[in-house]
Amino acid sequence: MIKHRYLLGILLTILVIGNISAQKADISPERKQAIDSLALEKVRDLSKYISIIGNKKTPFSEAQRVMDRAEELFAPDAEMGVSSLNRKEINYYKVRKYFERLMALNYDKVTISWYDIHYISDLERQPDGRYVGVVTIYQRFEGTSDDGMKYKDTTKKDITIYVERKKTQISGRTVEFWDVMLGDIRVSETSA
Amino acid sequence: MIQKMTTFIRTYARLLLLAILISSVSVGTGCKSKKKAMEAQAAAAEKARLEAEALERKKREEDEARKKKEAEEAAAAAERARLDAEAKKSTPYSKLQQYFTAIGSASSVAAANSSINEALTLFASPETPVLIVISESGGQKDYDRPTTIKDYLNYLKDQKKQGDKLGNLQFDSSGKITEVELVKQK
Repeated sequence: MIKHRYLLGILLTILVIGNISAQKADISPERKQAIDSLALEKVRDLSKYISIIGNKKTPFSEAQRVMDRAEELFAPDAEMGVSSLNRKEINYYKVRKYFERLMALNYDKVTISWYDIHYISDLERQPDGRYVGVVTIYQRFEGTSDDGMKYKDTTKKDITIYVERKKTQISGRTVEFWDVMLGDIRVSETSA
Repeated sequence: MIQKMTTFIRTYARLLLLAILISSVSVGTGCKSKKKAMEAQAAAAEKARLEAEALERKKREEDEARKKKEAEEAAAAAERARLDAEAKKSTPYSKLQQYFTAIGSASSVAAANSSINEALTLFASPETPVLIVISESGGQKDYDRPTTIKDYLNYLKDQKKQGDKLGNLQFDSSGKITEVELVKQK
């Protein structure tokens, strides 16, 4: 009987501590809104980087630097889906490989724009403390060659977003920050 | 009979003359007092006119003095504002804000790079840390992932952004910036 009481006490203590921890982890709607906006801004930043990398007028050194910056937006090993109206399958590449292929596309002029960027799944706190959500974008691609060859399509893509609380040392003191990382970018639709 | 008539006429004539004389004397006396009254009235009117003119002149002079004072104060305030603006132009805060704007709105990559190189002279190092506040409540600040000033300035160039609002700057003993805190615009 005494043993059971001890067990019950331990269980209750664990429940109370767990509840307090969960409450501490909750953030106010204002802070959550700021994190949501930050994540969307990262997606828009990626859109601009892709446009610069794809642009044939971008000097090589600039494109390399921008690739480095764009790669920093992603979680390690994240992949980018690539589709075409000319084939059924969707190919997935590591983001660096995708950027390099994008820069080397056999067109004389490439324009890429992203639009209608919005959450389809809000950032939700996971048991491991990370926030995970999904943002959808539409990508308009147009490639033109001097000989008149032209390809264009519109692709709907879903981007997984991870947001994690991290710490770093700045000038000898610890600074906590929200680290937004983009995960895999999956193609969900492709049309002309 | 004729003599009686003559006597009567003479007497009547004398009486008439006397009456005329009396009436003319009395009329003369009435005109004089009326003239006096009119003169007094005119003097009072003149006095009132002069007083009104003096009051008007005083009011005009006060208005002019007030307007002059206001103009002098406005000129002094404008001069103070000009001096403040001049002083601000030379502070690292305003210089950095100007570089942010120049980089974000540069017409070419070369122009943006030129502004970036100039801006970097304000810093102790291109690796100077930049912290960006995304929200603040109850004294607690939420930051974006820290970056360096070189990367941040290139970010403004790539994204064609005007830069976040300048928060705190920290300096070393030689006046170079050693840390930047920015506040994200909502």
